[in-house]
Amino acid sequence: MADVKTINLTIEDRPVAVPEGTSLLEAARTVGVLIPHYCYHPGLPVAGVCRMCLVDVEKAPKLAPACATSVAEGQIVHVHSEKAREARKGVLEMLLINHPLDCPICDQAGECELQDYTFQEGRKDSRYKEPKRFNPVEDFGGDVVYVPNRCILCTRCVRFMDDVAQEPVLNVSERGDRAYIGKFEGKDLTHPWAGNVVELCPVGALLSKDFLNKARAWELDRTASICPNCTQGCNAIVETRDNTVVRMRPRANSEVNDYFLCDVGRLDYRWMNGPNRLELPQARQNGLLADADWDIALGAAAAAIRGKRALVLASPMLSNEALHLLTRLIRVTGGSGAFRVARGPEAPLPGVKDLSLRSERAANVTGAEKLGFKKTDTPLAGLQGTDVLVIVDHTLTDAEIEAANRASAVVVIGTTLVAGLSNVAAVLPITNFAEEEGTFTNLRGRVQRFLQAKAAPGLARPSWFVLADLLGALGDAANYFLPADVFAALAASHAEFAGLTYDRIGLRGLPVVGAAQPAGVAQ
Amino acid sequence: MGYPHAPHARETVVLSKYFGDREATTLDGWRKRGGYVALEKALGMTPAEIVGIVKDSGLRGRGGAGFPTGLKWSFMKPGDGKPHYLCCNADESEPGTFKDREIMRWTPHSLIEGCAIGSYAIGAETCYIYIRGEFTEPLERMEAAVREARAAGVIGPNAMGTGKRVDVWVHKGAGAYICGEETALMNSLEGRRGNPRIKPPFPAVAGVFGQPTTINNVETLVAVPHILNNGADWYKKMARPDNPKSTGTKLWSVCGNVARPGNYEVEMGFPFKDFLYDLCGGPPPGRKFKAVIPGGSSVPIMNMEEADAALMDYEGMVAKGSMLGSAGCIVIDDAQCMVKQIARLARFYAHESCAQCTQCREGTAWATKIMERIEAGGGTLADLDTLLEIGDNMTGKTICVLSDSCAVPIASGIQKWRDEFEAHIKGKRCPFRAAAAA
Amino acid sequence: MAISKEMGGTHAESHAAHGSAAHGHGEPHEPVFVGDRRKQLDELLTRYPTRMAVLLPALWMVQEDRGWVSEAGMAEVAEVLSLTPAYVKGVVTFYTMYHQHPVGKHFIQVCTTSPCNVCGAEDVVNAFLKHTKCGELGVTSEDGRFTVIEVECLGACGFATPVMINSDFIESVTPEKVPDLLSKLT
Repeated sequence: MADVKTINLTIEDRPVAVPEGTSLLEAARTVGVLIPHYCYHPGLPVAGVCRMCLVDVEKAPKLAPACATSVAEGQIVHVHSEKAREARKGVLEMLLINHPLDCPICDQAGECELQDYTFQEGRKDSRYKEPKRFNPVEDFGGDVVYVPNRCILCTRCVRFMDDVAQEPVLNVSERGDRAYIGKFEGKDLTHPWAGNVVELCPVGALLSKDFLNKARAWELDRTASICPNCTQGCNAIVETRDNTVVRMRPRANSEVNDYFLCDVGRLDYRWMNGPNRLELPQARQNGLLADADWDIALGAAAAAIRGKRALVLASPMLSNEALHLLTRLIRVTGGSGAFRVARGPEAPLPGVKDLSLRSERAANVTGAEKLGFKKTDTPLAGLQGTDVLVIVDHTLTDAEIEAANRASAVVVIGTTLVAGLSNVAAVLPITNFAEEEGTFTNLRGRVQRFLQAKAAPGLARPSWFVLADLLGALGDAANYFLPADVFAALAASHAEFAGLTYDRIGLRGLPVVGAAQPAGVAQ
Repeated sequence: MGYPHAPHARETVVLSKYFGDREATTLDGWRKRGGYVALEKALGMTPAEIVGIVKDSGLRGRGGAGFPTGLKWSFMKPGDGKPHYLCCNADESEPGTFKDREIMRWTPHSLIEGCAIGSYAIGAETCYIYIRGEFTEPLERMEAAVREARAAGVIGPNAMGTGKRVDVWVHKGAGAYICGEETALMNSLEGRRGNPRIKPPFPAVAGVFGQPTTINNVETLVAVPHILNNGADWYKKMARPDNPKSTGTKLWSVCGNVARPGNYEVEMGFPFKDFLYDLCGGPPPGRKFKAVIPGGSSVPIMNMEEADAALMDYEGMVAKGSMLGSAGCIVIDDAQCMVKQIARLARFYAHESCAQCTQCREGTAWATKIMERIEAGGGTLADLDTLLEIGDNMTGKTICVLSDSCAVPIASGIQKWRDEFEAHIKGKRCPFRAAAAA
Repeated sequence: MAISKEMGGTHAESHAAHGSAAHGHGEPHEPVFVGDRRKQLDELLTRYPTRMAVLLPALWMVQEDRGWVSEAGMAEVAEVLSLTPAYVKGVVTFYTMYHQHPVGKHFIQVCTTSPCNVCGAEDVVNAFLKHTKCGELGVTSEDGRFTVIEVECLGACGFATPVMINSDFIESVTPEKVPDLLSKLT
C-alpha cells in the first residue's frame, strides 16, 4: 500500500483521511458515520442502483451516490442535510408503495433494513392509492424461497451468484416496475454457497426455508463462534432461542471467510441440539454400568486408566484446550492419540481467496495434528489388549467397536452414547462446542476462539473441565478454572502456539507461529 | 426536406439533400453525388487534424445532449495501446424523432463515411452502428451498404488502399428505448441487459468491452464529411450572428397535429413561429396550435406564447423554457387533451424504465397510475401536489435521466395547463372525451 | 413463473393472455445453430472480442427460425455462447421484441405513443382489433393468424400511424386502410 495517496476530506463535520480510491461510503464508515444503503455490500461489486446512499457534496450540482463516488481532496460531505434526507425519504417512499405490509408475518422483521431506515427517516403514512403489484411466492430450490412482493431489486443476490459464487443462476427479469429476480426453469439455487443470498437480502424477499417462521429475530440470542463443520473455520454466529440452536449465520472475517458461510455450515446445526445426549456420568459398579455422580465416575475412569497405556481416540471436533489436556493424559500413561475424520466433497467459493467447504469435515483437524494426534483411517490399529481405550467424542465403526471390546477397558468421554461397547468402565458427559468456550485451529493454522452459546444438558460439563478433573484423579494435577488458562498452558508448552493468548486472539483469530498465510491475505 | 414533401425554399438542404433519391442508397450513386471524397481526404490527414477541424466547426451532438463533438473526440487518448471503439447511436427512440431513419434509408453511405472518418479520428479500427430492431428498412439498407463498401475496399482491413483498418458493423437492437442512452447502448452491444452505467468511468476511459469508446449520433456523424469538404468556417456561418455556440444545420422531425409533418433541415437559429406556420403549414384545418414539444418528449412542453418567440438553436430553446434535444418536434392542437397525452407519455417512460434505480422503477409507474386515474376522472387536487413531489424525487437522483424525463412533461402540464387537470378532477371526467362524444 | 400485473398494453400483455394455450412446450427443440446458421454465428463471432456480444444477434436468429424464443432456444443459445440459461433469460425478458411464447402468424404492432396518439393511433388499433376479430390486445385470433398489440414509439412519427406486421414496417396507416392491409395477408 506504500504508493497510494491519502485523501483528506470532511464528512458530517468530521475530518477523514483515507487512501485514494476509497468510496465516500467506506470513508464515512471509518469515522463512524453510517450512510444508509441497500444495494452496496463490501463483499460484492458496486451497483449503485438503490439510490439510498445519495449524499450532499458541497459545490456539486447533484447528490452523489456514496457507494460509487470516490473521495476527493477537500470535499465537504453532508449525510444528514435537508437535501440528502429528503432524497432518502423519497427512496423509502418509493420502495414502500408496492411493498406489502407483511411485517407481522415476515421473517425479516426485527432484522430488516427497510424497517430500520423507514422507522428512522421514512414517512409516517403512505399516500399511494393505486392497486399494489402482486406476484406469487417462488421456490428457488435449495434452501431459498423468493417473495417477489417484498423485493426491492437491490440485486445483491444476483451479484453474489454472478461474481462471488461465479454461477449466474439468478437474473433480473423484465423491465420497469414489472422487474423481479428470476431464474431458469430447472436450474435451481443448489450451489453450495447459495444460502448466502438469504443473508445478503436486506428485506424479507429471500428467505431460508429452514428458518421459515421458526423464530422472531428479537427472540434470538447471538454468540460469536466458529463453524465447526469443516477445517476452513469460517467465523459464524450461533443463534439460539430457548437454549436451542435455531440458526447459523456468517460473521465477517476478511482473513478467513469474508462475509460468507456455506450451506453445510448454515444448515447442519441440528446435531448441536441433541438428541441422544449423554447427560449423566456413569460408572461400572458391581459389574453394572449405572448413573453415578461425578466423583464416582471420575474415580472409576481413573481406576480404569491407572497403570495402563491409554490409546486416546480424540474427535477432531474437540477444542485445542481439550486436546491439550488429552496430550497430558497420553504422556502420563505413555500412550498415543489418533483420530479419523469424515470426508465430503470440496466446494470452493471462487470469488473469495482460499475459501472453500473443505473435504475434511471437522473443525480442529489441524489443531489435533499439531498437538500430536495421528490422522488415520484406522485409528485403533495399534490398540492392544492391555491398553485402555479412551474415546473422546469420537464415532466408531462396527469394526472399531469389535476392536474396542478387546481392550482391557474403555472410558467414554463424550456427548452421545456409543452403542455396542461391552467393557465401558466409566462415562463422562461433556459439552459440545456450542456449550463451551475454546479455540479451534483451522487448516491454515489460524487459531480462532468460539464462545459458549447455550447451556449444557443435564450434568454435562465442559470438555476441558472434565479432562482437568480426570488428570487430577490420575495424580497429574491440572487446576484450571478458565479455558483461557488451559490455553495459556498449551501456548507455554507448544512452540507453535507461543505468544498467543485469548486477549490477543480476540474475535478475529491469529495464526500460529510460522503459519503460511495464503497470498493476498493480510497478517 | 419536409420529406415526403419537396424541400421548402427556406430550408438549408445539406444532410437531407438526397432523401427520396433511390440511387443515393448505392455506392456508385453515392460516389456520383460526391460521396467518399471526404473519407479519402481524411485518411490522408492525421487524426488530430480532423479533430481540430470538427472542434472548430462547433458541431454538437445531435442525439439530444448537444455535447461538442470535437471535444468528445479529443477525450480519446491516442497511442494508449488499447483498442478504441466508435459506436454510432442509431437507436432513435425518442418520441417525436424520426430523422436518423431517413438518413439511414436514403443515404446509408453517408453514415458509413461519417463512421469511417470518426473512427479514424479517434484511433478506432472498429465501429458498431447500433440500429434499433424496429428499423427494418434502415437495417436492410445499412447492411447492404456495408457489404458494398467492404467489397469495394472503401472500408475494411485496407480502407481505400491506405493500409489502415476501418471496420464498420451493423448491430441490431431488440426493442428498448433506454438503449439510446450511450452507456446502456454499450451494455446492450456487449450482450447484456440495456442498463445505463454509472459514470465515472466515462466511455472514453472505459467503454464498450472495457476499452476507450466514443458514442455519436447518426446525424452528428453524417455532418462530418460535409464539414471536411466545405470547411469549418462554412459550418460556423450557419448560425445566428449573436450566438456562435450553435452552428450548422439541424434536421427537425415534425409530427403530430400539423399540416405537413416530416423532416425539415434548417440553419441554427431559425425562428420557430415561421417554421411551424410557414414551412410546416400550420395546424390542421379548423384547429389551433395548443402546445409543442420541440426536442422529443423529454424536454419541457412549450405553450404557443413561448414557441412563437423561440429561436431554433440550443440556447434559443433554453431561453424560452425548453430544450432543443433531438429536435423531435411534437405539435399538439386544441382538440387534444393534455392530460391524456401526458399520461400516455408517462406510460411510455414507465414501460421503458430499465428497473435499476428505485425512483425511476417505482416513480414512473406510480406517476402513470396517478395520471391515468386523473384522466379517467378519479383524481383529486392533492394528486397534483403528489405528482409534483414524486417528480421532484425522480429528478437528479438516478443513474440516467429517463426518470427526470418522465417528470418533465408532468411538471410542464401541471404548470401550464393546470386548468385541464382541474377540469378532469372537478368534472370527474375528461372534458375532451365528453365533447367528442357530444 | 411470476406473473405481474402489467402496466402497458404491449409485451407482457400478450404473455399473460396466452395462458396455457399454444406454448409449444411439449415439442422437442430443433437446434437452430447448425449448418448455415452456425456459419453465420461463427462469422459474427469474429466481429466482437467477446462471445457474449453475439447474444442479441443469436436470439434474433432463433426468433427468425422458430417464430419465438422458447426456453429451449435460450438454453441452446446459452450453450453455444458459453453463458448460463438464467443469464440469457434475463436478457431476453429485457427486450420487448423477443417473443417468449408463440404469437399469431401476423404479429401486428401499432404505435400509440403521443405523437401518433394525437393523430388517431387508437382508432387504428381499434380498427385492427375489429377486422382481425381478435377482440382483445395481445390475444391471438381463433384461427391463429393475428395478434394485435400496442407498442411504444416506432420512430416514424411523421408518418402516423406506423404499424409493424412481424418485421414489415408500414407507414401512414389509417383506420380506413386497415381492411385492405389485412386482406393482403395470408
